[in-house]
Amino acid sequence: MSHTAVIITVAYSIAVALGSAISFAVFRSTARPLEEDRSGTWSRRETTWLVIMVVTLFALLMGTIFYVPYGDTAGPRGQVVRVTGVQFAWAIDAPQPLVTGRPVAFFARSRDVAHSFGVYNPEETLIFQAQVVPDHEQKIVHTFTEPGVYTVRCLEFCGVGHHKMTSSFVVKPA
Amino acid sequence: MIDERSLAIARRLTISYVVASTAILAASGLLGVVLRWSQAVPQARVGDNFWYALMTAHGLGAFVGWAGFAVMGLAWWTLAGVGFPVRGFGLAMARITWWLMVLGVIGVIATTVFMGFGASWVFLYPLPFYGSGNWGDWATGLFSFSVLLAGLAIVTWCFGILHTVCNREALGSDSSSIGKRLGLAFGWGFLMPRTFAAKRPVPYPVIPLAVIGFDMIIATLPLAGLLIWQILQSMHVVGPANALLAKNILWWFGHPVVYLLLFPAVAVYYWLIPRYAGRNLVAGHVIAIAWTIAVIANVLVWAHHLYLDYPSGTPQAQINTAMQPITFALVLPSALSLYSLAFTIYRSRFRWTPASAALFFGLVGWLLAGLSGVINATIALDVAVHNTLWIVGHFHHMAMLNIGLLIFGAVYALLPELCGKALYSEKLAWIHVWTTFVVGMIFFGLWLVQGLDGAPRRWSVLPSDYDTLTRISLPFVFLLAAAQALFFWNVMQTLRGKGGVATFDERGIPEPTKSTKDWSVHTAEGALMLVAVLLAMAFAVGGYLVGREHGNAGGGGTTTAQSTTAQVSTGEGDVVTGEEGAVTGDATAGARVFASAGCGGCHALSAAGSTGSVGPSLDGANLSEALIKARVTSGKGAMPPFDGQLSPQQIADVAAYVRESSPVVAPPGSAPTPGSDY
Repeated sequence: MSHTAVIITVAYSIAVALGSAISFAVFRSTARPLEEDRSGTWSRRETTWLVIMVVTLFALLMGTIFYVPYGDTAGPRGQVVRVTGVQFAWAIDAPQPLVTGRPVAFFARSRDVAHSFGVYNPEETLIFQAQVVPDHEQKIVHTFTEPGVYTVRCLEFCGVGHHKMTSSFVVKPA
Repeated sequence: MIDERSLAIARRLTISYVVASTAILAASGLLGVVLRWSQAVPQARVGDNFWYALMTAHGLGAFVGWAGFAVMGLAWWTLAGVGFPVRGFGLAMARITWWLMVLGVIGVIATTVFMGFGASWVFLYPLPFYGSGNWGDWATGLFSFSVLLAGLAIVTWCFGILHTVCNREALGSDSSSIGKRLGLAFGWGFLMPRTFAAKRPVPYPVIPLAVIGFDMIIATLPLAGLLIWQILQSMHVVGPANALLAKNILWWFGHPVVYLLLFPAVAVYYWLIPRYAGRNLVAGHVIAIAWTIAVIANVLVWAHHLYLDYPSGTPQAQINTAMQPITFALVLPSALSLYSLAFTIYRSRFRWTPASAALFFGLVGWLLAGLSGVINATIALDVAVHNTLWIVGHFHHMAMLNIGLLIFGAVYALLPELCGKALYSEKLAWIHVWTTFVVGMIFFGLWLVQGLDGAPRRWSVLPSDYDTLTRISLPFVFLLAAAQALFFWNVMQTLRGKGGVATFDERGIPEPTKSTKDWSVHTAEGALMLVAVLLAMAFAVGGYLVGREHGNAGGGGTTTAQSTTAQVSTGEGDVVTGEEGAVTGDATAGARVFASAGCGGCHALSAAGSTGSVGPSLDGANLSEALIKARVTSGKGAMPPFDGQLSPQQIADVAAYVRESSPVVAPPGSAPTPGSDY
């Protein structure tokens, strides 16, 4: 599991546990119904709830929006790889063997339909992916930290051989 | 309140939508079982293209044909229940909607299951025109037309809804202006009571229906344009369109259509939860703010489905990033609605029946789907789960555990008042509701786990690392399907009047059947019979498919019946074999293998009508059968090995076919085009 997937697992588990506890509390509360009507108070507090939600979502937004994968550059030390996706194969064209520690810029194109260039590390963990739409060039920058054989899988449905559209490349120690 | 005649009209409408959509659930649900079964059990594997065609049918059928269609129908009765009769223009639209939707779904099933169209429900352009010999332009044109019919059904439904919610009398509007009446229906009377003056506050269930009725027109029309383009392109009238633009148009529709399920469902929650709680919906005026955000944000979040499309030289990255905050804003209507509904239930004299339990579980499903949705909405987190089975888990929480349970709850709650007959068995309903929720949680939860582990979605055969969890999920798939059989049986017996005449308590909640007969024996017998019939039918369908697959030599399994035929036909005595005991190929069967295995995607071969350019052209290649067999079996370079995916017989067949159809000088089009004729 990738670092991001671990964060998701932890965050989602906590949220689900909290949500389940609240749901159970609401369910149990109907066993002891209230005599007086408190609807008015609860209705007014809905505004407080709105404020809480807005603040929470704003915090999540500020905490995550700067980690978008867009616009990365490989810099002068970068290694360039040209990737071509076609039904149902990847052509991966690297002039020199890829090495760890130096950014790799993948320039991906498609010759037919939409594909997605998904890269799994030697432990079979999905480490990054990007969509490849025909007639456009997609750039993805990644710095490999461990040497080994990386698996490529197509992650955008592209037809009958979609699940056969796999490949691999080797990253050598620097 | 509205008159008896208007009630009768709304009642008939809702019954017709719900019955049709329930039939579609039965069909598309079974397809879903086949899909997971085929992934889990190698012996039960269906052909790859057939799997993708079923996936296409299951997606559109279950999502639009069942869940969407059902809540669209429940909307009419909900509106009638809060004093908004459907009549005149609105009624005409409502009736047209039913026909368009039914015809559209029939067309989708025909073009996928029988014509092999398998480009998935998002039919990501230009995939519909790259069928690798599995489907042709005819199928693409007809499929596009069928989806267009379903899209038009959504538009006519929207017009019907808008006509109904803008009813001046029902709104008690002081003004006759269309704009003011629409504003009232959006809930703006709560925010600006002077501008949007009315004799009564708008009933809450009206607001989400007005919002989605307005938004889906905006959302669907560009898609209709794309579909018409695809139809024209399939007739060779127009050329290719821009793929990135087409993808944006698809999701411009594809996101709001989720809310075509959710918002009418919210209307039903707003209407029924207070009934079971015995108090009014706990809602402040602030809820109108949330729905105003919804009406705008709903059509401005499409690019969160394109978070990982950011090709150079396009503004897609900027658009995507702008849509993360807008998507977050769209969390607010759900957050406020869940608050309101939870406090409506909290410490009320809530009456727990199968119907209200299903509604309550539906709210829990909504919460779960919403939480995973927030993760999808966050670009930095989406990179880890995009296009994995996590997404499949997310939207099954949404579609089955939220919308689905709401539909079941609404049917149990409303069927007695819709048809005047008491629910056949409350006990069966309890079993159905609990099983659906608990089993669904486990089954869909396993998808979430697989997705976090990087399992790709829309793979007919998953990488073997994921096999364990796929197999573990299989019993839950069957349990979920079996639970739905109880639902069908219960509804059928109710409609046949087996539960007696419906009676209601002071809140309008149907009372359990008064029948003194012991239900259990009859029900057990009936359920057993129904399950047996369903299973027999499922196996018959399975048998048909297996027969077809093997007949076409397109199956992914072991040596097929074909090989026997080929060997026997070579004459008496010994089976004639090629070099060193290899099987002899049959070129006719090979033509079908060539198409179904997708060879044409990479290789040009004029006899097969394929123009792929990844691998070398096979026209005039003058290859020996032995070399072809070796390359297909073991692969080379970018060419994947087909060993294990094709049987030795199939590989021999395709080698014979390629050998035969690529003479040294190949006049193009000299041979008939195989692959297009089945």
